[in-house]
Amino acid sequence: MFQAKIRSDALKGIVNIISTLVDEAKLNVSPEGIGLKAVDPAHVAMVELDVKKAAFESYLADDTQIGLDLDKIKEVLRLTASGDIIEMEQDEERGRLIVRVGNITRRMNMVDTSSMSDPKVPQLSLPVSVDVSISEIQKGIRAAESVSDHIALTADAEGFELSCEGDTDSVNLRLDKAKLVGLTVSEKARSLFPLDYFSNLVKAIPSDTVVKINLGNDYPVKIHFDLAEGNTSVGYLLAPRIESD
Amino acid sequence: MGVNISTLIEPKNLELSDLRCKGVAIDAHNVIYQFLSIIRQPDGTPLKDSRGRVTSHLSGLLNRSANLLENGISPCYVFDGKPHTMKTETLESRRERRVQALEEWRQAREEGDLEKAFSKASQSSRLTADVIESSRNLLRYLGIPVVDAPGEGEAQAAYMSSRGDIYAAGSQDYDSLLFGAPRLVRNMAVTGRRKMPGAKGLYRTVNVEMIFLDEMLDNLHIDRSQLVDMCILIGTDFNKGIAGVGPKRGLKLIREHGDLPQALESIGMSIEGYQEIRDIFLKSEYTQDYDLALRAPDKDKVKELLCEEHDFSAPRVDSVLEKVEASLRQQEEQKRQLTLDRWF
Repeated sequence: MFQAKIRSDALKGIVNIISTLVDEAKLNVSPEGIGLKAVDPAHVAMVELDVKKAAFESYLADDTQIGLDLDKIKEVLRLTASGDIIEMEQDEERGRLIVRVGNITRRMNMVDTSSMSDPKVPQLSLPVSVDVSISEIQKGIRAAESVSDHIALTADAEGFELSCEGDTDSVNLRLDKAKLVGLTVSEKARSLFPLDYFSNLVKAIPSDTVVKINLGNDYPVKIHFDLAEGNTSVGYLLAPRIESD
Repeated sequence: MGVNISTLIEPKNLELSDLRCKGVAIDAHNVIYQFLSIIRQPDGTPLKDSRGRVTSHLSGLLNRSANLLENGISPCYVFDGKPHTMKTETLESRRERRVQALEEWRQAREEGDLEKAFSKASQSSRLTADVIESSRNLLRYLGIPVVDAPGEGEAQAAYMSSRGDIYAAGSQDYDSLLFGAPRLVRNMAVTGRRKMPGAKGLYRTVNVEMIFLDEMLDNLHIDRSQLVDMCILIGTDFNKGIAGVGPKRGLKLIREHGDLPQALESIGMSIEGYQEIRDIFLKSEYTQDYDLALRAPDKDKVKELLCEEHDFSAPRVDSVLEKVEASLRQQEEQKRQLTLDRWF
């Protein structure tokens, strides 16, 4: 059983993040909230979400699984204004999810979750931790996009840097320690990442969010942040690229 | 032809792009034969150059290879070596069928029965030494690796995929599974459509299929040597099989009696030299002498072979070559992107 009400902007925030990686998602529903782990088809990035019961306006559920077609949820979200309440209810008998917004009711077939397994989450210990307002990074991304397909993240004891090397041009955004919310560096670190994944994620994060970035040397980057006043936590992992010689 | 156990197999459908960044070893004789059968004019006449030499296979190989590369796949083609002596009978009967089909094709064409003509023409397809030679040359010029198997090509592909040098064996036949290929991919065609036999102008959609050996054996509740035993009962390229024993009965017999000798005893039959046939599949010959790296195409050589020798249109070949080069650059780029798998 699953029956919940959620503000459309809260749902939108969550869907925006997941849909940077997958079109379909398996929600692991429990009485306490909803968990989700998803890897993109190319196994380059994964996202782990924990949506607490408190993120909802009302929430009533047993342990169950819901296979969600994210495009359909986006269609529903397009009908809403910020602050609207979305009602969701699982119709277990028919394998459907019923979604109501105002006087509109959308019944959608759920995705078969039997073949969707929960990915394992790699345990990484990374030498750098940067706390930074995402709006700073969003600026850097806009500057980088015209220059290259990849972005290097570098951190040392003095600050954090985003840099892009194109064929002819380069761009970098330097954030000194004073510009950061927090910085812990046990060892200087640098890794290169595909810009499209990184920028899709960064753009999907509300601009008033502070994110924690864990970085290593030619290692995946881990980006952690909260949504919905701390009632949703998101962990995102992105695999690095090998630097060209 | 290979063993016919399709009724026992539940393949997984996938898109070619799901094989991105993966190596596939293609059963060269199998795919070339397919091209010779299918790439024909409506009355069954194969593509030919101005000197009357068949070029269907070259057209097929060029487009298929470019398409695989474009989907991020690294193909290699495995050519059969010497056929096993036990295959002689199969080869002989294929030859007879071909000769007969050739005659029937001529007749059908005279009678104006295009549909029958096409079908008979397909059956008359022949892998001549010229066809094999020109295929190998084209692949070499395109920079696509060619592997020479000492014996059956499928055995070599199975060896390479069990070592992890390639991801899957690519063939329409199921024999690769008997040879121990962990993964078999079928229907890697460009269009995803296939002519319906006997129905003019009708096509059915054909999905790319993947069969995982372990999963299949699990589903059938047998192991690989039992799979081989079962197929020997049904009939392989190396033996006729027992009349009246198809996949279903074969599976039942092997499951009930454990192995081939006991299954045979239970129905009072015998198969001559079955141990040798088992060994063909289970102790097959392979070589470790292969290099699976893709290389840049030798464009001049490709054009010399296709355009000058065999009258292909130069602009068409140019455009395919451009596609190939762009795909190779893209593959090179993609290899730099790591996946999370190595940290799991």
